[in-house]
Amino acid sequence: MSPRNPAASVREVVDHPAVEVDGLHVGYGSTPVLLGVDLTVPAGTGVCVVGENGIGKSTLLRCVSGLQQPDQGTIHVFGGDPGATPEFWRAVVTTVEPPTWYPGLTAREHAELVCRAHGQDPEEAGVDEALERFGLAGHLDAIPPSLSSGQKQRLVLAIALLRPSSLLILDEPEQRLDREGRADVASLLADYVAGGGSLLMASHDDGFAAASGAAITTMESLSSVAP
Amino acid sequence: MTAVPLAPVRRWISRTQSSHRERGATLNSLYIGVLTVAIIGGMLHRQLARIFWPAAPDASALAAGSLVAVCYGLLYLALRRFGPLALSRPAASWLLPAPVSRRRLLLPSLRIAGLVAAVIGALAGLAIVGHAAPRAEAGDEVALLVAGGGLAGLALLLVATAAQAGGPWGTALDRLAGLIFAAGLAGLVTSTTLDRPLTIEQWPAVTTLTPIVGALAALVVVALALVVRGLAATPSDRILEASRTAGTLFDTAFGIEPSFLTDMIERRYWARRRLRSTRLFPRLPVLVAQDLLLALRRRSRLMWLVLGAALPVLLGGAPGWVLGAAVLLGCLIAGMTAGGNVKTDAGNPVLLRLLGLSSRQAVFQRLWVPGVLAGLWAALALTALDVLGDLPAGPWWALGLVLGPIGAAAAVHRARVGFVRNELLPLDTPMGTLSTGPLVNAVMGPDLLLLGIPAWIAIAQGTLSWTTVLLQAIIGVAGARFYLSGTTGDDRTELSH
Repeated sequence: MSPRNPAASVREVVDHPAVEVDGLHVGYGSTPVLLGVDLTVPAGTGVCVVGENGIGKSTLLRCVSGLQQPDQGTIHVFGGDPGATPEFWRAVVTTVEPPTWYPGLTAREHAELVCRAHGQDPEEAGVDEALERFGLAGHLDAIPPSLSSGQKQRLVLAIALLRPSSLLILDEPEQRLDREGRADVASLLADYVAGGGSLLMASHDDGFAAASGAAITTMESLSSVAP
Repeated sequence: MTAVPLAPVRRWISRTQSSHRERGATLNSLYIGVLTVAIIGGMLHRQLARIFWPAAPDASALAAGSLVAVCYGLLYLALRRFGPLALSRPAASWLLPAPVSRRRLLLPSLRIAGLVAAVIGALAGLAIVGHAAPRAEAGDEVALLVAGGGLAGLALLLVATAAQAGGPWGTALDRLAGLIFAAGLAGLVTSTTLDRPLTIEQWPAVTTLTPIVGALAALVVVALALVVRGLAATPSDRILEASRTAGTLFDTAFGIEPSFLTDMIERRYWARRRLRSTRLFPRLPVLVAQDLLLALRRRSRLMWLVLGAALPVLLGGAPGWVLGAAVLLGCLIAGMTAGGNVKTDAGNPVLLRLLGLSSRQAVFQRLWVPGVLAGLWAALALTALDVLGDLPAGPWWALGLVLGPIGAAAAVHRARVGFVRNELLPLDTPMGTLSTGPLVNAVMGPDLLLLGIPAWIAIAQGTLSWTTVLLQAIIGVAGARFYLSGTTGDDRTELSH
């Protein structure tokens, strides 16, 4: 699938890195999770954060998505504050949150809805081809809650890659995918980055990250303060 | 496989549970329950008497027959919706897969359901007799009819239990019960339009009633024996589904959160449906197209809405302000039938973020389908009242149409209300402590119906001019517009306030 990602917003903000995190501190109660984290994702590149469970990967991704307020530090996405504005969400797609689904709408109709909301023609955007590539051709008429967790994960990724965006923030996209599925998704992500999109993801699978064309970095290396 | 005796297991569970409770906790709960019933009974005994045994009979023979269809049809549908046999969630998790007798496991549930169905059946019988039978000394007849009502309730429970364990005929029977209920409503509406309806002049003789009730009792005993014998064959998935329903009902009652129940019913409905993907009407804005598709996929709801447009006719004899309030509330309900998507967005904005729409764009598009439904429903309802002579001649259909924006704003506001806020301060009143959270939650949505005050006054007074229609149209559109601009923004995606 050729990425339809590099929207006008990328060209407008190409002077800024896609993500710029400086001195990020986040804690849950008295337990610090992120201590002085610095991270830069240059526009048009991919970065994959690896590390053991509970080290703060998802928290970092939530903060960059604007879904969690840090205790200290600054975050810029394409030079602006991450936030709840429609402009931000037209440029950024995240799978950090568990998805919800509309009642009475099939998997294919969900994909079509998202395409049409972004002004795309579903046929031209290749809805059917995308769903087929993600192994969902036999489930176009299913309602998403009836799909298995792996199929739901694939549907979310298919929709995320169908709609135009400038930055993908993905939390362990390889989870619940079989070996072939991982290779396919990694290749699509590599195409996305090659087409000018930016990628920030967390993963446990170094091979998947490398195949996605993302530079691998550990959470420890991002922290300037010893825990 | 050897079955483990269930009684000692249940005794052990009960003993262990009670050892964790304070001494006298059960007696305390029982005392509070009895006291609550006594206080409510004392406060409402006049209204209750009017419901079950009014001073003079006020229903025709047709109305009485229709009430039989409505009450017992509804009882059957409710029994089917809630099981009728269910286990508590812990019992469903631990005892259902255990090697115990399934019949013994389900018997207590059958006992409780039987008691409830018999009491409701008897009360319905008493109310129908009270409204329709002539006032004369007739103790035995009343007792026999009420006993017959109770037995009918029990019989419906046994049929519902067999349907729970049985095959696809249960679904056909549900449809039949729905049709009987709808026919009952239609009969009630028709009975109010008749000039000289046929009334029941005399009691049926005891000699006629006794064999009928006796035969019904014998039938119930035989059916009971058959159902008890077949209890062991009740499939586990049906029991588990009913247990989840019972658990959700408890959650709804304890959390005072009706959305738990409505969400579960919605999820189950769509899980059973087989859908075929279709194009989202390309000429319409995307969210309008989605709402329209959802409304069209629930055709039975639309049919009930059309039938429901005749219900205000039942209030033709009530004071005008009651009729006006009923029409406005009907507008809200009609709008709410297309509110599923906005409720999803209000509960979790993940999809709105994916769509990249502002809250103002989203709510603006979400107002259209509820508005059309509310307007058409009100136009139908007011036209029915006009045609049947409950309202004087006037452009009532036009008044109905201009109520659309109000129904839309109220329905969308209601769908966006979210969970009950139980952290709100309770109010101390002379009658006891009043939780404000559920109260505030309940009025959000209906509060916007105040925009329909001109229509309310017109219906209450029974006079309507085109000026009133115009005034109502302006207030409705302006109110919906203020609601949109006041509760949404171009700079945010979240719908919650």
